[in-house]
Amino acid sequence: MKTEAPTHSQSILKGNFATAEAARLCRVGFIPAYPITPQTTIVERLSDMVSKGEMDATYVNMDSEHSAFAAAMGAALAGERVFTATAGQGLFYAHEVLHAIAHFRLPIVIANVGRPSIPWNIWSDQSDSLAQRDTGWIQFYGESSQEVLDTVIQSYLLAEQLNIPVMVVLDAFYQSHTSENVWVPDQDLVDEFLPPKKPGPMSIDMENPKAFGGLVPPEHYNKLNYTFWRDAIQVEERAEQIAADYARMFGREYHNVEAINIGPQTRLVLVTVSSITTTARGVIRKYPDVGLLKIRLFKPFPKASVQEALRELPKDAIIAPVERNFLGDREGALFQEMQRALYGAPYRMYDFYAGAGGKDVPPETIEKIIHIARNNPQDVNWVDIA
Amino acid sequence: MKPANEFLIKDEQVFSGALSCRGCGWSLLVRHLASLLGPDTVYVLPASCFSIISGPYPLSELKANVVHTLFAAAPATATGIRAALDRQGKKDTIVAVLAGDGGTFDIGLQALSGAAARGENILYIVNNNGAYMNTGIQTSTATPYGAITTTNPGVGYKKTWPKDLMGIIAAHNLPYAATCSLAFLEDFRKKVKRARDTEGFRLLMIDGPCPPGHKTEPGDSIFIARLAVETRLYPLFEIERQHYKLSYKPGSFVPVDECLKHQGRFKHLFKEENKMLLEDIQSHTDDNWNKLLAMEKLAHVLGEF
Amino acid sequence: MLEIRGHARGGQGMVTAFEILAKMFSHLGDFQVQAFPAFGVERTGAPIQAFLRVAKKEILNRSNIYHPHLIAIFDESLLDMVPVFDGLKDQGAVLINTEKPRSAFDLPGKTIYTIPATRISLENGLGSKSLPIVNAAMIGAIGYLFEADLDVLQETIRGNVPSKPQANAKAAVTAYNSVLGEALPNPYLHDRLHNPGDEETGAYQYSEQTEPIIGIDAPFWAMPLSKNKTGNWRVVTPRYVDRRPPCNHNCPAGTDVRRFVKLAGEKKFAEAFETLYEHNPFPGVCGRVCPHFCEQQCNRNDFDESVNIGAIERFLGDQALNYPVLPSPVTQPEKIAVIGSGPAGLTAALRLCEKGYEVTVFEALPQAGGMMRSGIPKFRLPDAVLDLEIKRIEQKGVKIETKRRVSIGELSSRFSTVITAVGSHIGARLLLDGEDELSLDGITFLREFKLSGNEAGIAKGDRIAIIGGGNTAVDVARTALRLGAEAVIYYRRTMAEMPAIAQEVEEALAEGVQIRFLTAPAGLKKNSQGQIELSLIDMELGEPDSSGRRKPIPVEGSESTVIVQKVIKAIGQRFDEYAFDGMALKPRQGRIEYAGETPVFCAGDMAWGGTVTEAIGSGNKVAEEVHALLQGLQYHPEEILPDIVLPKDINFAYYMPIPKHRGVSKHPKDLHGNFEELSLGLRETDIHAESIRCLHCGDCYNCGNCFNFCPDAAIHLDEDGRLRIDYDYCKGCGICAEECPCNAIEFTLTEIAS
Repeated sequence: MKTEAPTHSQSILKGNFATAEAARLCRVGFIPAYPITPQTTIVERLSDMVSKGEMDATYVNMDSEHSAFAAAMGAALAGERVFTATAGQGLFYAHEVLHAIAHFRLPIVIANVGRPSIPWNIWSDQSDSLAQRDTGWIQFYGESSQEVLDTVIQSYLLAEQLNIPVMVVLDAFYQSHTSENVWVPDQDLVDEFLPPKKPGPMSIDMENPKAFGGLVPPEHYNKLNYTFWRDAIQVEERAEQIAADYARMFGREYHNVEAINIGPQTRLVLVTVSSITTTARGVIRKYPDVGLLKIRLFKPFPKASVQEALRELPKDAIIAPVERNFLGDREGALFQEMQRALYGAPYRMYDFYAGAGGKDVPPETIEKIIHIARNNPQDVNWVDIA
Repeated sequence: MKPANEFLIKDEQVFSGALSCRGCGWSLLVRHLASLLGPDTVYVLPASCFSIISGPYPLSELKANVVHTLFAAAPATATGIRAALDRQGKKDTIVAVLAGDGGTFDIGLQALSGAAARGENILYIVNNNGAYMNTGIQTSTATPYGAITTTNPGVGYKKTWPKDLMGIIAAHNLPYAATCSLAFLEDFRKKVKRARDTEGFRLLMIDGPCPPGHKTEPGDSIFIARLAVETRLYPLFEIERQHYKLSYKPGSFVPVDECLKHQGRFKHLFKEENKMLLEDIQSHTDDNWNKLLAMEKLAHVLGEF
Repeated sequence: MLEIRGHARGGQGMVTAFEILAKMFSHLGDFQVQAFPAFGVERTGAPIQAFLRVAKKEILNRSNIYHPHLIAIFDESLLDMVPVFDGLKDQGAVLINTEKPRSAFDLPGKTIYTIPATRISLENGLGSKSLPIVNAAMIGAIGYLFEADLDVLQETIRGNVPSKPQANAKAAVTAYNSVLGEALPNPYLHDRLHNPGDEETGAYQYSEQTEPIIGIDAPFWAMPLSKNKTGNWRVVTPRYVDRRPPCNHNCPAGTDVRRFVKLAGEKKFAEAFETLYEHNPFPGVCGRVCPHFCEQQCNRNDFDESVNIGAIERFLGDQALNYPVLPSPVTQPEKIAVIGSGPAGLTAALRLCEKGYEVTVFEALPQAGGMMRSGIPKFRLPDAVLDLEIKRIEQKGVKIETKRRVSIGELSSRFSTVITAVGSHIGARLLLDGEDELSLDGITFLREFKLSGNEAGIAKGDRIAIIGGGNTAVDVARTALRLGAEAVIYYRRTMAEMPAIAQEVEEALAEGVQIRFLTAPAGLKKNSQGQIELSLIDMELGEPDSSGRRKPIPVEGSESTVIVQKVIKAIGQRFDEYAFDGMALKPRQGRIEYAGETPVFCAGDMAWGGTVTEAIGSGNKVAEEVHALLQGLQYHPEEILPDIVLPKDINFAYYMPIPKHRGVSKHPKDLHGNFEELSLGLRETDIHAESIRCLHCGDCYNCGNCFNFCPDAAIHLDEDGRLRIDYDYCKGCGICAEECPCNAIEFTLTEIAS
């Protein structure tokens, strides 16, 4: 997805470095960090840039992810634009702080490099971030280093408009450690797109002291949730709007979901997130009746966008989510969310567990999924485990 | 000791109406602390009784900014706030953590150690009332030996000594740490001022009266706090870069019984069959006192203070 | 289904009570039960609620109880603070923990039951000083309303209370039998429990939500917590009080000792003098010669040593030299005569003069002052001090006529009222053979020596025996010593029983006076050399006599003899009856029966007491009584309640040990012929330092402790700088009272016990 863009320079960057570049371009002021594979090169790069004066931020080596996120919360309350990154266990460890950040309505953006829980595995998997679906964070899943960079920039605008934090997820190694072509926008362009952070309602103001986060009696708590809900249901439309503005200024177009080859001719739609999408894009070129639905905004799940993408899909088509997660349930996360979005729709849906714990998903696996889905699908199918 | 003969708080920085129990140490501690730190302060509160005391939505006790944070995370949240304020040029704004003993000795110890070791410019106040009082008097590692709590009931009284938090914190080579008692208000206020005016990570531990938790008469809160110091159960001292200095040496020997006997949580110690326990507490208290005297001497030898 | 809602304060045990009631109902029959508190932040003393449902079938409701059949009020004081009766069913009942009659509660159409649960609980030792735990009694009372089986009720309590099972069960039984109200069964409650019939359902009516949904955009807390009035948690209320200090209580003159000492501590010496002078016109005299009952009972004795009040008094009296006196105008028609110019007579005269009467004092001796003039040696009380204080009284307007030995009869025609205060200037007798020729009377000796320099023939080196143990004996001995004699006091009891001022005895001993204790004279005669042979007998102490002192009993066979030049007896005095015109009267304080129309009063040593200060007090009182009579008012002697501050009431933790300032004394090597005052008193700087040793018993002195220690920021200084407790916020913890150094805050259980 290259675009002529005189306001950019081209680099070959690993996904982690592209993430760090994005944080720099967004002029974040505070970076609390704690290392974990495969996130480490993000914070190393940020630390390096801060120490060299390439970016004006305060970088702190924290004592845990729990502390790192708690520090992020403090700095955000005190008005700073905050960034941090983590992965797997780190995200799990920060779980309770994720709730706090979201319900404090703090516009923090983080990157998570997906990996699963113990027993130890450091490879690509989305179970960590998907287990945080219900913390109140917005979640984007990036397909490429470029997309991660662009999404981080868009996320600050979205977060600061709605006062909801955003998690940008990239795949371990297939993205985090994969060097590829990335257009890095000029600072001026990012500055034009993303204005400096303004104090929000949840900002410490020394002139008007307040308390934040104390006891909320039952008669008030629901009112608090109501307002959060009212803002959360705007995310889908607002994210689409921001992506459109971004496309106009930066020349790269993103949507909450992306429909590839979905029309009256389509008999089967694969549903993917992240790097598997790219491989699937290649495979379906061989199959004119197979479409691909890429989910970019995962949380809140973009129900209207999904329905719109499938508007012309014939009623007897099959939908096949490709999962790189396992949440201890019968179906994987993609299947659950798609069912929710398509409740009442006529399509048959079969779930495919394919890539957990970094198991590679080569084109052959995608083709196998297409074959099974067409010929002898179970409700839930485990691919490549024989 | 003498009465202050003055009204120590000139500018009240709290609103009345705190949701503290009668005779609670938290409210009194915060009244004095806030009057000395002033409005240009951000307080950071992990879960503790004070989370509740300081006001249900939408009320707030303090006339300054207050950030409630997670139980384990106060020093970390304070780190973020400090960094942000520093970036905004508000170097003189004080960031003060108000934590209980559970949030300090137990679940918050990692974050505390992290912030202390980083030398964050934070004032950390721990109100040590020796148990998880907010949740109904469960044992913490600050609970005194011999005390009864709801998780060490009856004959299951606590059989281990509390953590030496001050020793742990001293090992972080802080510029200033001290123990304080609400019965010694002027000493407490002097230490708050010193801590306030010191840069870096500072910690003050206050012996926190808790009538429901200690099973004491609310009116006796200060009386018992004073006895804790006089019996050397709760010595008052300061630590500057690992150099100890005692702030108060009781004029005469007062046995620990004098303090313990007023507290229902130690009632069983006064049964004939538990005489040994009292002796244990006395000898542990004596050892601790002698250790402090030796530490003070050491500081002299090393030539500071 | 039966629904009960309870209202109590945190810490009274209501939540436990409802759990126990639930268990009790389930033991009583085939009931489904549900008991739970209104979950909240339960703080001791804060108002709380609990709910109990009891039903014959499955309970299909897990929400709070809004329309109870029975409301149980565990704490009566909640009635004014919480809408406790909200939602009570039309035929519903209430049970209130109260001592008041049912008619005190205005609840038309509702059935009211009362139970004195607090009293029952306190009688059974349940609860702490600040909060009685009434749950067992309330369980008993609720059990009674449903005619619960007492055995089941007791058993359930015993098995479920956290402590004191027997006391709790007993309180419940007492309460079961103490409920006042309509006879049982209460048909409505009985039916709800046993024959519920159709469940009453709420009258819910759907209505469209027309108002916009309100959310909280940002969860921050920015309203002052002071909207939360924690005063309604309070059970016991602290109050500032002014309690009587022992110094004031023990001053016979009625002096406000605490106040003048406080003023002296503030260096307000003129004001301190005025305070002192209000009760005592002889501070210079008393500062020197009073035994200072105030100091003897000073609470500071339990800490280090009493405050040297005498020295402060003396200083203030001496300072008065510089203060002008404004004469008091005569505004009353009555003329008053006072016989005797001692401390009682002059004090009474001054007080009446201040009230506008014309007062004339008649003195038999050539100089005014009574015993102060004639009985106290100059080395204890220089004439100049006495002169000055008498002069102030004269300047005020009192006329003194000296050398006027008068009787009541001589005066009654010219005066509306006569006060006799002639003192006790006639020595008592030993009742021994040869007494009149071989012994002198001490009080006469002192008078004659002082007024006319009569040394009674005492020569250097004489051995003088003085009989007695009072101040006269000691003064005689010290005077004899100064005349060069060897002075030996013989006293029949021990040092501990000596009525003389202890300090004076000490000084006498230091000067060389000898004292033989437990020795009494048995006879005296003149020997061949013209010396006096004084026979003595040893004594031992028996049981206490009417004076409270142990009675001396002669030891048989212990007789001995000493040879002396003089025997001076000082064993007590009596008054001169001349004033009574030969009538045999027993004088007593105040008005006495006397022939004739002129009212006659008595005061001073002749009436009661024996010290200058007691005489002054007597003078003050008699003046009040005379004034009341002349104005046609009822005279009520000030009643002094025994509620005085004791050492146990003082919080000594807040006082520094400071040695008593004792003042300087001269110690001349040779006292012979030296009648100068020896004690020099305290210097001004020491007076201040000594005054601030005062504990301020029972008197707030703005030390700041209550303010500084109040956890609830509920104590303020008002516009006038006085401390005030803000009862909107005071939770009644009692720290202020406990930490008040001087017991000026009252914090007692009375209000909850009543």
